Amino acid sequence: MSIDETLKDIVVRIVHCDEEVLTPTSTWQDIKADSLDMVQVLVAVEDTFDIEVPDEDLGELKNLGEFVKYIETRLAEKGTAKGTA
Amino acid sequence: MNRRRVVITGIGAVTPLGLDVKEFWAGLSTGKSGIGYISYFDTGNYQVKVDAEVNGFNPARYMDLKIVDRTPKAVHFAIAAAKEAVELARLDMTQEPAERVGVITSTMIENDYIIKGFENLQKRGPRRGDPLFITKVSPAVVSSQIGMLLGAKGPNSSVNSLCASGADAMGTALNHIRLGYADVMITGGADASLEATAIAGLNMLGALSRETDPAKASRPFDLNRNGFVYGEGAGIVILESYEHAQKRGAPILAELAGVGWSFDAYDATAPQPETQAVAISVALQDAGIKPEEVDYINAHGTSTRLNDACETKAIKAIFNKNAYRIPISSNKSMFGHIIAAAGAVEAVASVLTINNGIIPPTINYETPDPECDLDYVPNVARQAEVNVCLSNSFGLGGNNCCLVIKRFSER
Repeated sequence: MSIDETLKDIVVRIVHCDEEVLTPTSTWQDIKADSLDMVQVLVAVEDTFDIEVPDEDLGELKNLGEFVKYIETRLAEKGTAKGTA
Repeated sequence: MNRRRVVITGIGAVTPLGLDVKEFWAGLSTGKSGIGYISYFDTGNYQVKVDAEVNGFNPARYMDLKIVDRTPKAVHFAIAAAKEAVELARLDMTQEPAERVGVITSTMIENDYIIKGFENLQKRGPRRGDPLFITKVSPAVVSSQIGMLLGAKGPNSSVNSLCASGADAMGTALNHIRLGYADVMITGGADASLEATAIAGLNMLGALSRETDPAKASRPFDLNRNGFVYGEGAGIVILESYEHAQKRGAPILAELAGVGWSFDAYDATAPQPETQAVAISVALQDAGIKPEEVDYINAHGTSTRLNDACETKAIKAIFNKNAYRIPISSNKSMFGHIIAAAGAVEAVASVLTINNGIIPPTINYETPDPECDLDYVPNVARQAEVNVCLSNSFGLGGNNCCLVIKRFSER
């Protein structure tokens, strides 16, 4: 599963929004995610990709597309940019 | 003192007798037992086998899945009961100044979340804590979730006095309206703390029935009673000032006329009739009711040896000879003891008793106890005009809270 698909799965599971409405430009506001949703997504992303996302980085990620790029960068830094095999 | 009168305009209940008020009353008025075998954990080596569980409840019918995920089960019960009460009261939040509507409820923390949270912390470390932990173990979460759901921006808090909590929340909400802090209060209690840790702990205190026949386990005031049956559920009541209810043409189901509190300051588990009597007396005075005007007592009646004898003494201390002619019954014979919600669920039952003219029985009453020699409405419901009901709640540890609920009449 691609990083994009994995992140979509996480967001749908936690925020309970429709998968169809999720696009790379979807913002937290668009999908009606509140502060608690964001923290839960963060923990799930850290678990799934085995990376650490500092709180201040999360605040910078404006939409889903940026989040995917961020995860790609962090995985590349680790030298294991292969998603969740 | 010229105080605002406070009326009850809505009721909601999720109990072991059913998922709404209609099912609740159908069970209560026909003496049905909602008690069964514990399904939440394997009771293999436990002495206690029976409890009173809410069956067939699907929280997704009442709230968004996100709320279901984030909140403890008590919130699920409370939201279902609150929605029912709000609907019955025809309370339209778009027509209310939000800051004049408040919420005060009671609940118990669900221990399993604490245990899981601790295990998670040990396994994963502090950087991977559970973000939902606080919302799941906060005693404030029942009130805050109801407030969020309805957009009620007035006073919002939680009270706890163990088994007296539900009545305590209602009495506190009553005073919020009397004192002018709110015009409408959504109040009551919700409890889903029926867990292995609670059962094992209370069993050590000898407080729980070890009866193996569920239908016979809760037998308040009977000579062979041997402990209470742990229950779960929620009771929610809409309180509002009489003027407010009248102005919006709300259905008035009853008047919450008085509340009385006391604390035993005596023993960690054993009750005290003298201080229980104080709570009854204060409630009657607060309501401006003479003891001889009370025509039904909804007893705390837990089915423990100590409570039922002690409560009988407290009733005699206040009502003297009249104690023998007042019908007294224990709803707990049918749905067990819903701890932090008990007083609220029983207040809902009291409102229904007044409105239907039927006193629910104390079921499983077979052998009289010389220490409990009053009229406990044994086994069969009784038709009676009930105008003034006293509802007792006496907490383990000594917290006492009594409510006076009256048939509403223009004065």
